[in-house]
Amino acid sequence: MSDATSAFSHQRPVNIAFGILIILLYVFLMAPLVMIVGASFTGGLLIDFPPQGLSLKWYFEFFERQDLVDGLLMSLRIGAITAVVTMTVAMMAALAGQAISGRLSGWFQLGMTLPLLVPELLTAVGLLFFLYKIELGKTVVGLQMGHILMSFPYAYVSIAAAMRQVPASLEEASASLGATGWQTFRLVILPLVMPGLAMGGIFAFINSFDLYTISLLLKPLGGNTLPLALFDFLTYEFKPTAAAAATLSILLSILGVAIVQKLVGLQRAF
Amino acid sequence: MRLPKPRLLLAVPAIALIFVFMILPITNMAEMSFRTTGTSEPFGEDYTLAHYSRIFGDAYYWGVLVRSLLTAATVTVLCLLVSYPIAWHMSKAKGMKAVFLYACIASPLMTGVLVRNFGWMIVAALNGPLNETLMALGIIERPLRLLFTQGLVILALVHVFVPFMVLPINNALRNISPTLIEASTSMGASRRDVFRDIILPLSFPGIYPGVILVYVLAVAAFVTPALLGGQMVSYMPTLIIGELTGTFQWPFGSALAIVLSLSTVIVVAIFTALTAKLMERSKA
Repeated sequence: MSDATSAFSHQRPVNIAFGILIILLYVFLMAPLVMIVGASFTGGLLIDFPPQGLSLKWYFEFFERQDLVDGLLMSLRIGAITAVVTMTVAMMAALAGQAISGRLSGWFQLGMTLPLLVPELLTAVGLLFFLYKIELGKTVVGLQMGHILMSFPYAYVSIAAAMRQVPASLEEASASLGATGWQTFRLVILPLVMPGLAMGGIFAFINSFDLYTISLLLKPLGGNTLPLALFDFLTYEFKPTAAAAATLSILLSILGVAIVQKLVGLQRAF
Repeated sequence: MRLPKPRLLLAVPAIALIFVFMILPITNMAEMSFRTTGTSEPFGEDYTLAHYSRIFGDAYYWGVLVRSLLTAATVTVLCLLVSYPIAWHMSKAKGMKAVFLYACIASPLMTGVLVRNFGWMIVAALNGPLNETLMALGIIERPLRLLFTQGLVILALVHVFVPFMVLPINNALRNISPTLIEASTSMGASRRDVFRDIILPLSFPGIYPGVILVYVLAVAAFVTPALLGGQMVSYMPTLIIGELTGTFQWPFGSALAIVLSLSTVIVVAIFTALTAKLMERSKA
């Protein structure tokens, strides 16, 4: 028995108590998500758990609400652009990061993850003023830039981790056989880092899809992302339609988790 | 072989992105906090210290600042207490069980804060599952009003930040070699001794970044207090956003943001100094 806890397995009651504690903690972790999914299928008129009868009517209701559907479409569009741009910029940065050695490399990593480490509120406030100054205030372009900035670290961390797995000798071999830098990248490096690159894109997309504070401060005139529209909806008309919208968002994240597991394995990703 | 230098140029777009759209704007915000109040524009042309003297001279702002710092500290401590057992349990799991547990941590992490807070609105509703469970267990007689209370804000924030704490602690625990623990038990160390003298000190490399990250993010959390806190209790982030979007007092809002950031840095610095001492004592 190599399991470290096995040495104490004679302490039965303690283990049972610990088991119950763990179950309660996971209930705490999962309860809000389960409640939302449950409440979205209610046949009744109120947000309630357990749901009153089963129906899909709140999903139909959701797709008939123009404000929520517009929000969904805007979030999907901004998320898709964010994913493409951050994947490109992060891939380039990760290639450069490989060429930096020693102490400077640590600082580079830190700098690249800065938008993740500094509270979103500060970045959002700073950007609000800055975009106003360069006359991009209250525009979709400004909001898009904010999303790209906030999601960049997620893409970078995944791609840089994949790059570290590529042995330097492969690149050297490719170069000594006469491949150009671009050929080496496209034929040797890119296929190897592809799972990490795709994972980076997924993380960036989902992060963008979920952003709230920065979208609130930078939101363009007449445009709402799904979280913004959902917040307004929750404040003014607390109906199960919100649970349907939130369930779609939860499904998206579960899909993301499943793809990441398939691509690189959750254990390596987190 | 030294890699060719032009490769470093590939970092230019990323550095430009972070410098132009983050570092520059935040520096800009510091400058904004010294501007006078504008009449036609959100800020004036001249410079003043008036916003800072207004904040420090008013007990109301002191109160909100202290409440924000203390709430974040409570959230961090509770988060650590919830996360440590989860991380411990996770670090022992293998195979499909480990995948399942990682998915349980990753799915909330990848679901938006707003959605997760909304989940708590359902849980804590007057005739919601939490009240009904408590009544069924005979702990309370009539439903408690839980929505729009400070307690619920704290609970929801703990829920938001648990994954940020679990993941680094789990990584630290996974790096502890089982032979180390086996060796000390075989030499007669009790379960408590092993935990106190080996596991806890060795999990510190995970606890430390987790605690700091959660504290820094919790102090500046906006969505949760805005959605679940109601109108009665103010926190710094809600005040700041109110000044910026409601009344368009950009300089004053910036001064509030700067005060909040600097106080957070001071708290983190004190925490670092204290834990550094603690670490040295445990080594001795």
